[in-house]
Amino acid sequence: MNQLPDNIREHARQYFASRPLSSDDKTRICLFLQSVKSTNAAILSKIEFQPFEWMPYKYLHTQYYKDIEQSTLLAKATEWSFNPMLYMEATQINLSLWQAADINKFLTGAFEPNRTLYEYLALSHAFMSELRILSLLPPDFDLAERFIHCLHEIDLENGRQIQTQVRMLKDMKIDLSEEEKQQIVDDMRVVVSQAFDALLYSIVQSD
Amino acid sequence: MPTAKFRGYDVHYEFYGTVSRPTIVFVNGLSMRTNHWEPFVKRLTAQNISVLLYDMLGQGASSKPVLGATFSENADAIACILDEMGIEKAYVAGISFGGVVVEEFGIRYPEKTKGLIPISTFSELDGQLRHHSHNLHMAMTQIGFEGYLNLIMPLNFTSMYLEKMADVLGMAKRITSMSLQVYGIQNLMESLADFKSITGELHKITAPTLILNAEHDYFTPRHVHEVIRRHIKNSKLMIVQHYCHAFTLEIPDISCRIITDFIDQVENDTWVGDQSVWIAEDSIDSDEIAYPCEGDHLRFIPSQPKTKSKANSKATLRKQKPSKQAPATEAPEKRKATKAKPPQSEA
Repeated sequence: MNQLPDNIREHARQYFASRPLSSDDKTRICLFLQSVKSTNAAILSKIEFQPFEWMPYKYLHTQYYKDIEQSTLLAKATEWSFNPMLYMEATQINLSLWQAADINKFLTGAFEPNRTLYEYLALSHAFMSELRILSLLPPDFDLAERFIHCLHEIDLENGRQIQTQVRMLKDMKIDLSEEEKQQIVDDMRVVVSQAFDALLYSIVQSD
Repeated sequence: MPTAKFRGYDVHYEFYGTVSRPTIVFVNGLSMRTNHWEPFVKRLTAQNISVLLYDMLGQGASSKPVLGATFSENADAIACILDEMGIEKAYVAGISFGGVVVEEFGIRYPEKTKGLIPISTFSELDGQLRHHSHNLHMAMTQIGFEGYLNLIMPLNFTSMYLEKMADVLGMAKRITSMSLQVYGIQNLMESLADFKSITGELHKITAPTLILNAEHDYFTPRHVHEVIRRHIKNSKLMIVQHYCHAFTLEIPDISCRIITDFIDQVENDTWVGDQSVWIAEDSIDSDEIAYPCEGDHLRFIPSQPKTKSKANSKATLRKQKPSKQAPATEAPEKRKATKAKPPQSEA
Protein backbone atom coordinates (compact mmCIF):
# COMPACT_ATOMS: atom_id res chain seq x y z
CA MET A 1 0.00 0.00 0.00
CA ASN A 2 3.03 2.26 0.10
CA GLN A 3 3.57 2.43 -3.68
CA LEU A 4 0.42 4.30 -4.63
CA PRO A 5 0.66 7.16 -7.10
CA ASP A 6 0.23 10.74 -5.92
CA ASN A 7 -3.16 12.38 -6.23
CA ILE A 8 -4.96 9.07 -6.30
CA ARG A 9 -8.12 10.79 -5.07
CA GLU A 10 -8.01 13.23 -7.97
CA HIS A 11 -7.58 10.29 -10.35
CA ALA A 12 -10.57 8.65 -8.68
CA ARG A 13 -12.65 11.80 -9.09
CA GLN A 14 -11.86 11.88 -12.80
CA TYR A 15 -12.58 8.18 -13.11
CA PHE A 16 -15.98 8.45 -11.43
CA ALA A 17 -16.82 11.55 -13.46
CA SER A 18 -16.14 9.73 -16.71
CA ARG A 19 -18.56 6.78 -16.27
CA PRO A 20 -21.28 5.37 -14.06
CA LEU A 21 -20.21 2.89 -11.39
CA SER A 22 -19.78 -0.56 -12.91
CA SER A 23 -20.59 -3.80 -11.10
CA ASP A 24 -16.83 -4.24 -10.58
CA ASP A 25 -16.59 -0.79 -8.98
CA LYS A 26 -19.60 -1.42 -6.78
CA THR A 27 -18.28 -4.80 -5.73
CA ARG A 28 -14.88 -3.38 -4.77
CA ILE A 29 -16.49 -0.55 -2.80
CA CYS A 30 -18.95 -2.87 -1.10
CA LEU A 31 -16.33 -5.45 -0.13
CA PHE A 32 -14.17 -2.74 1.39
CA LEU A 33 -16.94 -0.98 3.30
CA GLN A 34 -18.48 -4.28 4.38
CA SER A 35 -15.14 -5.38 5.74
CA VAL A 36 -14.71 -2.14 7.66
CA LYS A 37 -18.23 -2.25 9.03
CA SER A 38 -18.20 -5.92 9.96
CA THR A 39 -14.79 -5.49 11.62
CA ASN A 40 -16.10 -2.51 13.52
CA ALA A 41 -19.24 -4.41 14.50
CA ALA A 42 -17.14 -7.33 15.71
CA ILE A 43 -15.22 -4.98 17.98
CA LEU A 44 -18.37 -3.23 19.12
CA SER A 45 -20.13 -6.51 19.92
CA LYS A 46 -18.09 -6.54 23.13
CA ILE A 47 -20.16 -3.64 24.35
CA GLU A 48 -23.15 -5.94 24.87
CA PHE A 49 -21.35 -7.50 27.83
CA GLN A 50 -20.71 -4.18 29.52
CA PRO A 51 -22.90 -2.41 32.08
CA PHE A 52 -25.89 -0.61 30.66
CA GLU A 53 -25.17 2.27 33.04
CA TRP A 54 -21.76 2.96 31.53
CA MET A 55 -22.19 6.23 29.64
CA PRO A 56 -20.69 5.14 26.29
CA TYR A 57 -22.79 1.95 26.26
CA LYS A 58 -25.88 3.42 24.64
CA TYR A 59 -23.90 5.19 21.92
CA LEU A 60 -21.60 2.33 21.04
CA HIS A 61 -24.55 -0.08 21.14
CA THR A 62 -26.29 2.09 18.53
CA GLN A 63 -23.19 2.13 16.35
CA TYR A 64 -22.97 -1.65 16.55
CA TYR A 65 -26.46 -2.15 15.14
CA LYS A 66 -26.18 0.69 12.63
CA ASP A 67 -23.03 -0.83 11.15
CA ILE A 68 -24.70 -4.21 10.77
CA GLU A 69 -27.76 -2.59 9.20
CA GLN A 70 -25.74 -0.57 6.71
CA SER A 71 -23.44 -3.45 5.85
CA THR A 72 -26.38 -5.69 4.94
CA LEU A 73 -28.20 -2.93 3.06
CA LEU A 74 -25.12 -2.16 1.00
CA ALA A 75 -24.69 -5.84 0.17
CA LYS A 76 -28.30 -6.01 -1.04
CA ALA A 77 -27.84 -2.86 -3.14
CA THR A 78 -24.68 -4.13 -4.83
CA GLU A 79 -24.60 -5.58 -8.34
CA TRP A 80 -21.97 -8.23 -7.73
CA SER A 81 -19.12 -8.78 -10.15
CA PHE A 82 -18.38 -12.14 -11.79
CA ASN A 83 -14.64 -11.44 -11.74
CA PRO A 84 -13.04 -13.82 -9.16
CA MET A 85 -9.71 -11.92 -9.15
CA LEU A 86 -11.42 -8.86 -7.87
CA TYR A 87 -12.47 -10.65 -4.67
CA MET A 88 -8.89 -11.73 -4.07
CA GLU A 89 -7.62 -8.18 -4.52
CA ALA A 90 -10.27 -6.89 -2.13
CA THR A 91 -9.20 -9.43 0.47
CA GLN A 92 -5.61 -8.21 0.18
CA ILE A 93 -6.64 -4.62 0.83
CA ASN A 94 -8.84 -5.61 3.75
CA LEU A 95 -6.14 -7.77 5.30
CA SER A 96 -3.60 -4.98 4.96
CA LEU A 97 -5.93 -2.65 6.83
CA TRP A 98 -6.50 -5.30 9.48
CA GLN A 99 -2.74 -5.65 10.00
CA ALA A 100 -1.86 -1.96 9.81
CA ALA A 101 -4.55 -1.02 12.33
CA ASP A 102 -3.72 -4.04 14.50
CA ILE A 103 -7.41 -4.89 14.70
CA ASN A 104 -6.79 -8.07 16.75
CA LYS A 105 -5.98 -6.16 19.90
CA PHE A 106 -9.37 -4.46 19.88
CA LEU A 107 -11.29 -7.71 19.71
CA THR A 108 -10.41 -9.08 23.12
CA GLY A 109 -11.09 -7.81 26.62
CA ALA A 110 -13.70 -5.35 27.81
CA PHE A 111 -13.83 -1.67 26.86
CA GLU A 112 -12.09 0.33 29.53
CA PRO A 113 -11.01 3.95 29.56
CA ASN A 114 -7.43 3.20 28.54
CA ARG A 115 -5.07 3.66 25.60
CA THR A 116 -6.57 0.73 23.68
CA LEU A 117 -10.07 2.22 23.84
CA TYR A 118 -8.67 5.58 22.77
CA GLU A 119 -6.94 3.96 19.81
CA TYR A 120 -10.13 2.17 18.85
CA LEU A 121 -12.12 5.43 19.03
CA ALA A 122 -9.50 7.13 16.86
CA LEU A 123 -9.70 4.25 14.38
CA SER A 124 -13.49 4.33 14.19
CA HIS A 125 -13.44 8.13 13.88
CA ALA A 126 -11.17 7.70 10.88
CA PHE A 127 -13.50 5.05 9.43
CA MET A 128 -16.39 7.48 9.55
CA SER A 129 -14.61 10.62 8.41
CA GLU A 130 -12.01 9.34 5.92
CA LEU A 131 -13.99 6.75 3.99
CA ARG A 132 -16.24 9.02 1.91
CA ILE A 133 -16.77 7.59 -1.57
CA LEU A 134 -19.63 9.99 -2.14
CA SER A 135 -17.35 13.03 -1.90
CA LEU A 136 -15.44 11.71 -4.93
CA LEU A 137 -18.50 11.23 -7.14
CA PRO A 138 -19.82 14.00 -9.42
CA PRO A 139 -22.27 16.08 -7.37
CA ASP A 140 -25.16 15.30 -9.70
CA PHE A 141 -25.15 11.65 -8.62
CA ASP A 142 -28.50 9.92 -8.88
CA LEU A 143 -29.91 9.36 -5.42
CA ALA A 144 -32.63 7.14 -6.86
CA GLU A 145 -29.98 4.59 -7.80
CA ARG A 146 -30.01 2.10 -4.91
CA PHE A 147 -26.24 1.70 -4.47
CA ILE A 148 -25.67 5.47 -4.47
CA HIS A 149 -28.62 5.91 -2.14
CA CYS A 150 -27.01 3.44 0.22
CA LEU A 151 -23.66 5.29 0.12
CA HIS A 152 -25.54 8.53 0.83
CA GLU A 153 -27.26 6.95 3.83
CA ILE A 154 -23.91 5.73 5.14
CA ASP A 155 -22.42 9.21 4.72
CA LEU A 156 -25.30 10.85 6.60
CA GLU A 157 -25.30 8.22 9.33
CA ASN A 158 -21.54 8.53 9.78
CA GLY A 159 -22.01 12.25 10.43
CA ARG A 160 -24.45 11.43 13.20
CA GLN A 161 -22.67 8.42 14.68
CA ILE A 162 -19.28 10.10 14.78
CA GLN A 163 -20.60 12.23 17.65
CA THR A 164 -19.70 9.49 20.10
CA GLN A 165 -16.13 9.42 18.85
CA VAL A 166 -15.86 13.22 18.78
CA ARG A 167 -17.11 13.56 22.34
CA MET A 168 -15.05 10.74 23.79
CA LEU A 169 -11.82 11.61 21.96
CA LYS A 170 -12.10 15.20 23.12
CA ASP A 171 -13.57 14.81 26.59
CA MET A 172 -12.83 11.32 27.92
CA LYS A 173 -10.76 11.34 31.09
CA ILE A 174 -7.85 9.12 30.21
CA ASP A 175 -4.24 8.89 31.23
CA LEU A 176 -2.77 10.27 28.01
CA SER A 177 -1.15 13.61 27.27
CA GLU A 178 -2.61 15.84 24.54
CA GLU A 179 0.43 15.05 22.39
CA GLU A 180 -0.12 11.32 22.80
CA LYS A 181 -3.79 11.68 21.95
CA GLN A 182 -2.95 13.71 18.87
CA GLN A 183 -0.36 11.16 17.77
CA ILE A 184 -2.81 8.28 18.12
CA VAL A 185 -5.45 10.16 16.13
CA ASP A 186 -2.96 11.08 13.40
CA ASP A 187 -1.60 7.52 13.16
CA MET A 188 -5.05 6.00 12.76
CA ARG A 189 -6.01 8.51 10.11
CA VAL A 190 -2.92 7.61 8.10
CA VAL A 191 -3.69 3.88 8.35
CA VAL A 192 -7.31 4.30 7.22
CA SER A 193 -6.43 6.88 4.59
CA GLN A 194 -3.84 4.54 3.04
CA ALA A 195 -6.34 1.68 2.92
CA PHE A 196 -8.88 3.95 1.24
CA ASP A 197 -6.28 5.07 -1.29
CA ALA A 198 -5.51 1.40 -1.99
CA LEU A 199 -9.19 0.78 -2.69
CA LEU A 200 -9.35 3.78 -5.02
CA TYR A 201 -6.21 2.64 -6.80
CA SER A 202 -7.68 -0.81 -7.34
CA ILE A 203 -10.72 0.82 -8.93
CA VAL A 204 -8.83 3.32 -11.07
CA GLN A 205 -6.16 0.90 -12.32
CA SER A 206 -8.83 -1.58 -13.42
CA ASP A 207 -9.76 0.92 -16.14
CA MET B 1 -2.30 24.98 -3.57
CA PRO B 2 -0.41 27.35 -1.27
CA THR B 3 -0.43 26.36 2.37
CA ALA B 4 0.99 28.02 5.44
CA LYS B 5 2.31 25.91 8.28
CA PHE B 6 0.54 26.88 11.47
CA ARG B 7 1.27 24.95 14.67
CA GLY B 8 1.93 21.83 12.64
CA TYR B 9 -1.23 22.15 10.57
CA ASP B 10 -1.68 23.13 6.93
CA VAL B 11 -3.70 26.29 6.37
CA HIS B 12 -4.85 26.63 2.79
CA TYR B 13 -4.79 30.16 1.40
CA GLU B 14 -5.13 31.94 -1.94
CA PHE B 15 -3.69 35.34 -2.75
CA TYR B 16 -4.84 37.52 -5.64
CA GLY B 17 -2.97 40.72 -6.46
CA THR B 18 0.34 42.11 -5.29
CA VAL B 19 1.67 42.65 -1.81
CA SER B 20 2.35 46.34 -2.51
CA ARG B 21 -1.36 47.10 -2.86
CA PRO B 22 -3.87 47.36 -0.01
CA THR B 23 -4.80 43.81 0.95
CA ILE B 24 -8.05 42.56 2.35
CA VAL B 25 -8.33 39.19 4.09
CA PHE B 26 -11.72 37.46 4.00
CA VAL B 27 -12.62 35.17 6.87
CA ASN B 28 -15.21 32.52 6.03
CA GLY B 29 -18.44 31.92 7.85
CA LEU B 30 -18.80 28.55 9.55
CA SER B 31 -19.74 26.36 6.57
CA MET B 32 -18.01 28.40 3.87
CA ARG B 33 -14.78 27.84 2.00
CA THR B 34 -12.55 30.13 -0.03
CA ASN B 35 -14.46 29.71 -3.30
CA HIS B 36 -17.49 31.47 -1.79
CA TRP B 37 -15.53 34.73 -2.11
CA GLU B 38 -14.88 34.25 -5.82
CA PRO B 39 -17.23 37.09 -6.87
CA PHE B 40 -15.29 39.42 -4.59
CA VAL B 41 -11.89 38.58 -6.04
CA LYS B 42 -12.67 39.78 -9.55
CA ARG B 43 -14.36 42.97 -8.42
CA LEU B 44 -11.83 44.00 -5.79
CA THR B 45 -8.68 43.20 -7.72
CA ALA B 46 -10.11 45.32 -10.56
CA GLN B 47 -10.10 48.17 -8.03
CA ASN B 48 -6.42 47.52 -7.22
CA ILE B 49 -7.20 45.84 -3.94
CA SER B 50 -5.41 42.55 -3.29
CA VAL B 51 -7.44 39.71 -1.82
CA LEU B 52 -6.25 37.02 0.58
CA LEU B 53 -8.61 34.08 1.17
CA TYR B 54 -8.04 31.19 3.54
CA ASP B 55 -9.83 28.21 5.04
CA MET B 56 -9.91 28.05 8.80
CA LEU B 57 -8.70 24.87 10.48
CA GLY B 58 -11.58 22.45 10.00
CA GLN B 59 -12.75 24.02 6.73
CA GLY B 60 -12.18 23.41 3.03
CA ALA B 61 -8.64 22.46 2.10
CA SER B 62 -7.06 23.27 5.47
CA SER B 63 -6.18 20.64 8.09
CA LYS B 64 -9.04 19.38 10.18
CA PRO B 65 -7.73 18.66 13.65
CA VAL B 66 -9.81 15.85 15.15
CA LEU B 67 -9.28 17.11 18.67
CA GLY B 68 -10.38 20.62 17.72
CA ALA B 69 -8.73 24.00 17.92
CA THR B 70 -9.18 26.92 20.25
CA PHE B 71 -11.09 29.93 19.07
CA SER B 72 -8.12 32.31 19.33
CA GLU B 73 -6.13 30.10 16.95
CA ASN B 74 -8.34 31.28 14.10
CA ALA B 75 -7.02 34.84 14.48
CA ASP B 76 -3.48 33.59 15.03
CA ALA B 77 -3.66 31.71 11.72
CA ILE B 78 -4.37 34.97 9.85
CA ALA B 79 -1.32 36.58 11.43
CA CYS B 80 0.73 33.54 10.44
CA ILE B 81 -0.32 33.78 6.77
CA LEU B 82 0.29 37.55 6.68
CA ASP B 83 3.80 36.96 8.03
CA GLU B 84 4.42 34.25 5.46
CA MET B 85 3.22 36.57 2.68
CA GLY B 86 5.30 39.49 3.97
CA ILE B 87 2.21 41.66 4.40
CA GLU B 88 2.69 44.03 7.30
CA LYS B 89 -0.86 45.34 7.61
CA ALA B 90 -4.15 44.30 6.10
CA TYR B 91 -7.85 44.96 6.10
CA VAL B 92 -9.70 42.01 7.59
CA ALA B 93 -13.32 41.26 6.76
CA GLY B 94 -15.33 38.26 7.90
CA ILE B 95 -18.90 37.11 8.09
CA SER B 96 -20.83 35.55 10.95
CA PHE B 97 -18.43 33.20 12.79
CA GLY B 98 -15.68 34.82 10.71
CA GLY B 99 -16.80 38.24 11.94
CA VAL B 100 -15.94 37.26 15.50
CA VAL B 101 -12.53 36.15 14.25
CA VAL B 102 -12.17 39.62 12.68
CA GLU B 103 -12.86 41.25 16.05
CA GLU B 104 -10.49 38.88 17.78
CA PHE B 105 -7.80 39.72 15.21
CA GLY B 106 -8.32 43.46 15.76
CA ILE B 107 -7.94 43.01 19.51
CA ARG B 108 -4.92 40.71 19.37
CA TYR B 109 -3.06 42.16 16.39
CA PRO B 110 -3.60 45.95 16.25
CA GLU B 111 -0.15 46.39 14.68
CA LYS B 112 -1.22 44.24 11.71
CA THR B 113 -4.65 45.81 11.29
CA LYS B 114 -5.39 48.54 8.75
CA GLY B 115 -9.12 48.25 9.03
CA LEU B 116 -11.83 45.80 10.05
CA ILE B 117 -15.15 44.83 8.49
CA PRO B 118 -17.13 42.58 10.82
CA ILE B 119 -20.19 41.40 8.89
CA SER B 120 -23.41 39.81 10.22
CA THR B 121 -21.73 38.97 13.48
CA PHE B 122 -21.58 39.41 17.26
CA SER B 123 -19.20 39.87 20.16
CA GLU B 124 -21.16 37.98 22.80
CA LEU B 125 -23.74 35.21 22.84
CA ASP B 126 -27.03 36.53 24.14
CA GLY B 127 -30.16 34.45 24.77
CA GLN B 128 -31.25 34.28 21.13
CA LEU B 129 -27.78 33.52 19.80
CA ARG B 130 -27.27 30.74 22.33
CA HIS B 131 -30.48 29.13 21.18
CA HIS B 132 -29.52 29.54 17.52
CA SER B 133 -26.13 27.95 18.23
CA HIS B 134 -27.79 25.10 20.08
CA ASN B 135 -30.24 24.50 17.22
CA LEU B 136 -27.49 24.48 14.62
CA HIS B 137 -25.36 22.14 16.68
CA MET B 138 -28.30 19.77 17.18
CA ALA B 139 -29.15 19.87 13.48
CA MET B 140 -25.57 19.10 12.50
CA THR B 141 -25.01 16.32 14.99
CA GLN B 142 -28.42 14.66 15.19
CA ILE B 143 -30.05 15.22 11.80
CA GLY B 144 -26.96 15.50 9.65
CA PHE B 145 -25.09 18.17 7.77
CA GLU B 146 -27.83 18.60 5.17
CA GLY B 147 -30.25 19.25 8.04
CA TYR B 148 -27.94 21.97 9.27
CA LEU B 149 -27.81 23.52 5.80
CA ASN B 150 -31.59 23.38 5.50
CA LEU B 151 -31.90 25.19 8.81
CA ILE B 152 -29.61 28.06 7.86
CA MET B 153 -30.91 28.63 4.32
CA PRO B 154 -33.97 30.73 5.27
CA LEU B 155 -31.88 32.59 7.85
CA ASN B 156 -29.22 33.37 5.28
CA PHE B 157 -31.18 34.42 2.22
CA THR B 158 -34.22 36.42 1.13
CA SER B 159 -37.32 34.70 -0.18
CA MET B 160 -36.69 36.23 -3.56
CA TYR B 161 -33.21 34.69 -3.74
CA LEU B 162 -34.34 31.29 -2.48
CA GLU B 163 -37.10 31.19 -5.09
CA LYS B 164 -34.82 32.39 -7.87
CA MET B 165 -32.16 29.83 -6.95
CA ALA B 166 -34.56 26.99 -6.14
CA ASP B 167 -33.27 24.83 -8.99
CA VAL B 168 -29.62 25.03 -8.01
CA LEU B 169 -29.84 25.23 -4.22
CA GLY B 170 -30.27 21.48 -3.87
CA MET B 171 -27.08 20.91 -5.81
CA ALA B 172 -25.28 23.66 -3.88
CA LYS B 173 -26.24 22.01 -0.60
CA ARG B 174 -25.09 18.64 -1.88
CA ILE B 175 -21.71 20.02 -2.99
CA THR B 176 -21.27 21.74 0.36
CA SER B 177 -22.19 18.56 2.27
CA MET B 178 -19.84 16.43 0.23
CA SER B 179 -16.90 18.81 0.31
CA LEU B 180 -16.95 19.56 4.03
CA GLN B 181 -16.15 17.34 6.97
CA VAL B 182 -18.91 17.47 9.57
CA TYR B 183 -16.52 16.99 12.47
CA GLY B 184 -14.29 19.83 11.20
CA ILE B 185 -17.19 22.27 11.14
CA GLN B 186 -18.45 20.88 14.41
CA ASN B 187 -15.06 21.50 16.03
CA LEU B 188 -15.11 25.08 14.78
CA MET B 189 -18.58 25.51 16.22
CA GLU B 190 -17.54 23.92 19.48
CA SER B 191 -14.57 26.25 19.79
CA LEU B 192 -17.27 28.79 20.66
CA ALA B 193 -18.43 26.61 23.56
CA ASP B 194 -15.70 28.10 25.70
CA PHE B 195 -16.12 31.47 24.06
CA LYS B 196 -16.26 34.26 26.57
CA SER B 197 -17.75 37.56 25.56
CA ILE B 198 -15.17 39.77 23.88
CA THR B 199 -17.38 42.85 24.21
CA GLY B 200 -15.26 44.06 27.12
CA GLU B 201 -12.18 43.97 24.91
CA LEU B 202 -13.64 45.69 21.87
CA HIS B 203 -12.40 49.07 23.12
CA LYS B 204 -8.88 47.82 22.32
CA ILE B 205 -9.76 48.00 18.63
CA THR B 206 -8.49 51.30 17.37
CA ALA B 207 -8.38 50.57 13.64
CA PRO B 208 -11.15 51.94 11.40
CA THR B 209 -14.05 49.52 11.68
CA LEU B 210 -17.05 49.30 9.40
CA ILE B 211 -19.73 47.05 10.89
CA LEU B 212 -22.17 45.63 8.36
CA ASN B 213 -25.59 44.30 9.31
CA ALA B 214 -28.41 43.33 6.97
CA GLU B 215 -31.84 44.80 7.58
CA HIS B 216 -33.53 41.39 7.86
CA ASP B 217 -30.79 39.49 9.63
CA TYR B 218 -32.86 37.39 12.05
CA PHE B 219 -29.83 35.28 12.93
CA THR B 220 -27.52 38.00 14.23
CA PRO B 221 -29.97 40.88 14.58
CA ARG B 222 -29.34 44.59 14.88
CA HIS B 223 -28.90 44.68 18.63
CA VAL B 224 -25.82 42.43 18.59
CA HIS B 225 -24.17 44.73 16.03
CA GLU B 226 -25.18 47.67 18.16
CA VAL B 227 -23.10 46.24 21.00
CA ILE B 228 -20.07 46.19 18.68
CA ARG B 229 -20.74 49.73 17.44
CA ARG B 230 -21.04 51.13 20.94
CA HIS B 231 -17.75 49.60 22.06
CA ILE B 232 -15.54 50.49 19.10
CA LYS B 233 -14.98 54.21 18.99
CA ASN B 234 -13.44 54.31 15.52
CA SER B 235 -16.46 52.64 13.92
CA LYS B 236 -19.51 53.08 11.76
CA LEU B 237 -22.49 50.77 11.50
CA MET B 238 -23.95 50.31 8.03
CA ILE B 239 -27.31 48.66 7.52
CA VAL B 240 -27.71 46.78 4.25
CA GLN B 241 -31.36 47.20 3.45
CA HIS B 242 -33.72 44.41 2.33
CA TYR B 243 -31.29 41.53 2.79
CA CYS B 244 -30.58 38.75 5.29
CA HIS B 245 -27.65 37.26 7.19
CA ALA B 246 -25.60 36.08 4.18
CA PHE B 247 -26.15 39.16 2.03
CA THR B 248 -22.55 39.10 0.80
CA LEU B 249 -23.40 36.00 -1.23
CA GLU B 250 -26.62 37.53 -2.52
CA ILE B 251 -25.33 40.99 -3.45
CA PRO B 252 -21.57 40.77 -3.95
CA ASP B 253 -21.60 43.86 -6.19
CA ILE B 254 -23.01 46.19 -3.52
CA SER B 255 -20.90 44.51 -0.85
CA CYS B 256 -17.76 45.12 -2.90
CA ARG B 257 -18.70 48.75 -3.50
CA ILE B 258 -19.11 49.22 0.27
CA ILE B 259 -15.75 47.58 0.92
CA THR B 260 -13.99 49.54 -1.82
CA ASP B 261 -15.35 52.85 -0.53
CA PHE B 262 -14.26 51.96 3.00
CA ILE B 263 -10.73 51.09 1.93
CA ASP B 264 -10.53 54.24 -0.22
CA GLN B 265 -11.55 56.38 2.74
CA VAL B 266 -8.95 54.80 5.01
CA GLU B 267 -6.22 54.94 2.37
CA ASN B 268 -7.03 58.59 1.54
CA ASP B 269 -7.30 59.54 5.17
CA THR B 270 -10.90 60.67 4.81
CA TRP B 271 -12.40 58.00 7.06
CA VAL B 272 -14.33 59.34 10.03
CA GLY B 273 -14.99 56.76 12.72
CA ASP B 274 -17.69 58.47 14.73
CA GLN B 275 -19.96 55.51 15.59
CA SER B 276 -22.59 56.91 13.24
CA VAL B 277 -25.20 54.72 11.58
CA TRP B 278 -25.70 54.54 7.84
CA ILE B 279 -27.95 52.80 5.35
CA ALA B 280 -26.45 51.27 2.22
CA GLU B 281 -27.88 52.22 -1.15
CA ASP B 282 -29.46 49.60 -3.39
CA SER B 283 -27.41 50.55 -6.42
CA ILE B 284 -23.69 50.32 -6.93
CA ASP B 285 -23.97 53.32 -9.27
CA SER B 286 -25.06 55.66 -6.49
CA ASP B 287 -22.77 58.65 -6.03
CA GLU B 288 -22.53 57.78 -2.36
CA ILE B 289 -22.96 54.15 -1.38
CA ALA B 290 -24.69 55.02 1.88
CA TYR B 291 -26.76 57.74 3.47
CA PRO B 292 -27.21 58.59 7.13
CA CYS B 293 -29.82 56.65 9.08
CA GLU B 294 -32.48 58.83 10.56
CA GLY B 295 -34.57 57.66 13.44
CA ASP B 296 -34.11 54.75 15.79
CA HIS B 297 -31.92 52.25 13.98
CA LEU B 298 -32.74 49.54 16.50
CA ARG B 299 -36.39 49.39 15.51
CA PHE B 300 -37.96 47.37 12.74
CA ILE B 301 -40.90 49.74 12.64
CA PRO B 302 -39.89 52.84 10.72
CA SER B 303 -39.90 55.41 13.47
CA GLN B 304 -39.11 59.04 13.53
CA PRO B 305 -37.01 60.83 16.12
CA LYS B 306 -38.90 61.22 19.41
CA THR B 307 -39.32 64.96 19.02
CA LYS B 308 -41.26 64.44 15.79
CA SER B 309 -43.22 61.47 17.14
CA LYS B 310 -44.58 63.54 19.96
CA ALA B 311 -45.91 66.03 17.48
CA ASN B 312 -47.73 63.30 15.57
CA SER B 313 -51.04 62.98 17.40
CA LYS B 314 -53.75 60.46 16.45
CA ALA B 315 -55.43 63.19 14.47
CA THR B 316 -52.27 63.61 12.46
CA LEU B 317 -52.06 59.90 11.81
CA ARG B 318 -55.58 59.85 10.42
CA LYS B 319 -54.71 62.60 8.02
CA GLN B 320 -51.71 60.79 6.66
CA LYS B 321 -51.82 59.68 3.05
CA PRO B 322 -51.06 56.03 2.15
CA SER B 323 -47.36 55.28 2.17
CA LYS B 324 -45.61 55.51 -1.18
CA GLN B 325 -43.11 52.86 -0.11
CA ALA B 326 -42.85 49.96 -2.54
CA PRO B 327 -44.80 46.83 -1.55
CA ALA B 328 -42.81 44.17 0.28
CA THR B 329 -43.14 41.73 -2.60
CA GLU B 330 -41.38 44.03 -5.01
CA ALA B 331 -37.81 43.23 -5.91
CA PRO B 332 -35.36 45.05 -3.67
CA GLU B 333 -33.48 46.58 -6.56
CA LYS B 334 -36.67 48.27 -7.71
CA ARG B 335 -37.29 49.91 -4.39
CA LYS B 336 -36.23 53.50 -4.18
CA ALA B 337 -34.49 54.34 -0.97
CA THR B 338 -35.48 57.58 0.63
CA LYS B 339 -32.54 59.75 1.42
CA ALA B 340 -32.50 61.22 4.87
CA LYS B 341 -30.50 64.22 5.99
CA PRO B 342 -28.61 64.36 9.26
CA PRO B 343 -26.57 61.38 10.51
CA GLN B 344 -27.78 59.37 13.46
CA SER B 345 -26.43 60.89 16.62
CA GLU B 346 -24.38 58.72 18.93
CA ALA B 347 -26.44 56.68 21.39
